[in-house]
Amino acid sequence: MWVKLAVKLFAREFRRGELTIIFAAIALAVLTVFSLSSITERIGLNIAQKSSDFIAADRRLSSNHAFDPKILLQANEFDLKTAKMLYFDSMLFANDELVLSSVKATTATYPLRGKISIKDDLNSQPYDVDDGPKSGSVWLSEGLFYSLGVKVGDNVELGAGVFNISKVLVKEPDAPFFSLSGNKRVLLSYSDIETTQAVQAGSRVFHRLLFAGTEQQLSDYYTWLKPQLKSNQNWQGIKDRQSPLGDNLERAERFLLLAGLFGIMLAAVAMAVSAKRYCERQYDPVAMMKTLGGSRRVIRNIFLLHLSLVTAFSIVAGLIVGFILQTIGADYLAQFMGTELPQAGIRPWLLSGFIGLVCALMFSLKPLLDLFDIPPLRVLRRNLGDSLAVSKVHIVLSMMTIFVLMWLFSGDIITTLILFASTLFVIAILFAISRLLFAAGRRLGLSPGSSWSLAIATLQKRANANAIQLISFALAIKLMLFLVVLKNDMISDWQMQVPADAPNMFIINIAEQEVDPIKKFFNDRKITHEAFYPVFSGRVDAVNGEEFSRRKSKQEGEEKEEGEREGVSREPNLTWLASLPEGNEITEGQWFSGGDAIEVSVFEGWKDVLDLELGDTLTILVNEQKLSAKVTSFRSVDWGSLKPNFVMILSPNMAGKVPVTYFSAAKLKSEHTKDISRLLQRYPTVSMIDIKAQIEQAQSIIAQVSLAIGFVLSIVLVSGALVLISQVQASLAERMQEMVILRTLGAKGRLIKLATLYEFMLLGAIAGLVAAIVSDIVLMVIQQQLFDVEGRMHPYIWLLGPASGGIFVSVIGYFMVANTMKQNTQGLLRKLS
Amino acid sequence: MSVLSQLNVIQVSGLTKSVTTLEGSLTILSDINFSVKSGESVAIVGASGSGKSTLLSLLAGLDVATQGEVHLDGDALSTLDEEARARIRAEKIGFVFQSFMLVQSLTALENVMLPAELAGDHDAKAQALELLDKVGLSHRLAHYPSQLSGGEQQRVAIARAFIGSPKILFADEPSANLDSKNGHLIETLLFDLNKQNGTTLVLVTHDEQLAKQCQRIVHIEGGQLEKIIEGVAISVG
Repeated sequence: MWVKLAVKLFAREFRRGELTIIFAAIALAVLTVFSLSSITERIGLNIAQKSSDFIAADRRLSSNHAFDPKILLQANEFDLKTAKMLYFDSMLFANDELVLSSVKATTATYPLRGKISIKDDLNSQPYDVDDGPKSGSVWLSEGLFYSLGVKVGDNVELGAGVFNISKVLVKEPDAPFFSLSGNKRVLLSYSDIETTQAVQAGSRVFHRLLFAGTEQQLSDYYTWLKPQLKSNQNWQGIKDRQSPLGDNLERAERFLLLAGLFGIMLAAVAMAVSAKRYCERQYDPVAMMKTLGGSRRVIRNIFLLHLSLVTAFSIVAGLIVGFILQTIGADYLAQFMGTELPQAGIRPWLLSGFIGLVCALMFSLKPLLDLFDIPPLRVLRRNLGDSLAVSKVHIVLSMMTIFVLMWLFSGDIITTLILFASTLFVIAILFAISRLLFAAGRRLGLSPGSSWSLAIATLQKRANANAIQLISFALAIKLMLFLVVLKNDMISDWQMQVPADAPNMFIINIAEQEVDPIKKFFNDRKITHEAFYPVFSGRVDAVNGEEFSRRKSKQEGEEKEEGEREGVSREPNLTWLASLPEGNEITEGQWFSGGDAIEVSVFEGWKDVLDLELGDTLTILVNEQKLSAKVTSFRSVDWGSLKPNFVMILSPNMAGKVPVTYFSAAKLKSEHTKDISRLLQRYPTVSMIDIKAQIEQAQSIIAQVSLAIGFVLSIVLVSGALVLISQVQASLAERMQEMVILRTLGAKGRLIKLATLYEFMLLGAIAGLVAAIVSDIVLMVIQQQLFDVEGRMHPYIWLLGPASGGIFVSVIGYFMVANTMKQNTQGLLRKLS
Repeated sequence: MSVLSQLNVIQVSGLTKSVTTLEGSLTILSDINFSVKSGESVAIVGASGSGKSTLLSLLAGLDVATQGEVHLDGDALSTLDEEARARIRAEKIGFVFQSFMLVQSLTALENVMLPAELAGDHDAKAQALELLDKVGLSHRLAHYPSQLSGGEQQRVAIARAFIGSPKILFADEPSANLDSKNGHLIETLLFDLNKQNGTTLVLVTHDEQLAKQCQRIVHIEGGQLEKIIEGVAISVG
């Protein structure tokens, strides 16, 4: 019987809008968590996939010594897919030309991830294939065709073997993004290594094993492998912080995570406020039911069923809307990124459903328990039970729940702690500020009967309630401002990284005597270009006289692999420069002193990898020539930029000590295609690396991620608005009685409406100002700690905060009051009774 | 229990109610003794703050006494917990309040059905329809309280009070919130239904005229029983 009554009451309460805010709050929490976690998961999977493509595998093991065969055998035991690779440098000979090239020999399974891009001849379009060349043939990169004067179908000598050139090698998935040897590459079948006889005992070779499989298989295998790893063997994962996009996507992911946390926080506050309000509104009906003989059990069942129904409906609604939103968002994103985003797993469904359930249960549990305690005597003594409304247990329970939800969603205790603790701190400060402000307000003398004095009087009268309201307004505004500013900063940072006039072609291998003619060539054709940097290849052989290979490797864990990139770690590109390049910053030590000794500035990521200290002397091997350079500074390098970056920069007194080639970058337009072919024919040793595709991809990803962030931001803004509405709605119920009294006493509707407008305007403006100040401070910390960007002040939000707070809060308040004032006084009185 | 006390549907003995305030203990009712016979109508009168509403709350088991006892149809209320008292209210008591106390989200019909539904009565709707017809609101069944006038709301409350055929009806200032015409209508309705159903009526009022319609008047002054005037009922109709 009670079920029928409960369902009837539920339907009526729902229709009357009593449950709308609770419904919206739970649904919003669910849809926020669902859409954000599935989009982040899908982007994350995509990045992982891309990163896997980037190393042609999920994991790789590198060494300059041959591997024990059991390493590969054991990998097969773990059902991992494997491939073997060997790198070595060798001379290629054809048409009386002899060219030094980088040879990569691979087994048939290479690449395990990603594809190899090839062309049938120099003039045809590139296409992707899954395997390398067959035994007896080789694929050469375009530069070698020019250097050797060969074409597809010709033969070339590599060591002792003669091979047929069957394709033009455009790109392998794990080819270096930029390296000096980048354009003199040969791809060879692993079985042909013997034929070349190029690899002899003592030859400088580099071995690599590739692995692919599930995370579980890889992790199990690594558990077996780890104890047997030698110091010269390096296990690498798919994290790739030096990819220009990796950093940006990681920042975007962090933003989404943060936005999700804020969304949850706001939805939780809205839920807590509305659940408390809903239960308070049920005090009279419950007292009445108890008076009419309703047992506690029946009443408890009725309201628990209400809670279950509203929870179930809102979770389902949240999941449906969340699924639609994430599908639209992810499809849109995938379209522009030119890739397919992998489907998210079951985690977002479970996580968001669970969060909805926890939200509903934890935020309404205490108010509901209070509700069951309402004495029937309330029917005679109307204020009985009101004291239950302020419950410390509810506040503590709600806070604990918010903390657990944030932790659950982020899986990151540190971020959760920072955000949570700072929020608690903000609440404490705001409470103190609000009490002071309202107390000071008492001394303001304003003319009686004016809307302003009524507004001030109302503010003072409800100092405590206003303090709580102020805090929730300020928190909502703070979180919204925070995300708006962070979004703007992040997007403008990205746009700065890829400015419209950014170079799209790297020109490498320019001989010293070619520098001036090429400069002239560019200037004649009005092609904008960057400076010509001297570059040379070198290998760090020893630190303070101790040979590097014997030093203890610190590269076992994936965390320490930041500096590791093929073509960089083995033989980094070196340069000398008189001044610190743009985008670099000295983090330790001093820029070059200008003395006679050779100095070197090292990328800070290498400090730990090579176990370096300031003052260490590096022995750098350049073409068998040993150079000593003292480490005088460490630098941060913005790998996110598409500009040439150097791991090591030597002092300018290096000039003339080693043979160098020059390097530059230019912005080429489509009409320059013929000019470039002419340039490459005239200077066959010069190579071009086209980064147009990367730039376009970066720009489109930035545009789309910005869009995704805007979308997330709007979800959070809706949550924020919901908090504000629920708070205004809660306070409006308290105001009703006063409004009716004022109205009955003959106060004009305009006076009451204006007084409410001013009151909310003041509240909103104060909340907005405090929110702006706090956001700016927290932003500085978060930007530095979480986003690795320089924190800065944002004076515009000091205006935006109070203005938006004042307008937003007063408009909501005004319309809600105006709506109430439309009813006649008798109607209001009846509602009250 | 004596035969006399069995006839008494309400037996009040040495009833005292004190509350603790910031200033110390405050006695609201002190040593009240009286009884109400089955089918009798009794008015509890007194000035504002005299303790008459507190007395009503104790008689109906909405509150518990500090000392003394209320026997309601043979049950000693002080020995029962809140759940047991709720059960007694469900089975034996009907209420009419000054502020109507209708559930805003339920229609007139649903409000009347509410006590019967809470008691698990399957015949709730038929009873409610009949009662609403008796109070002249059969054309307002689907109206919500906010769509009804004060007089109509109180008529709904009266219909609700009689559903389940309670033995005792407690009415707290039933016409105080209404104009004299509507107030008079409500009073007439209350006494008529009371008579038809043979219900015991306990009415709290400060209206002497209304009190005079009851068979006995219990005067409360300063928390004490001042006097009981017997046989004052003016026949109605």
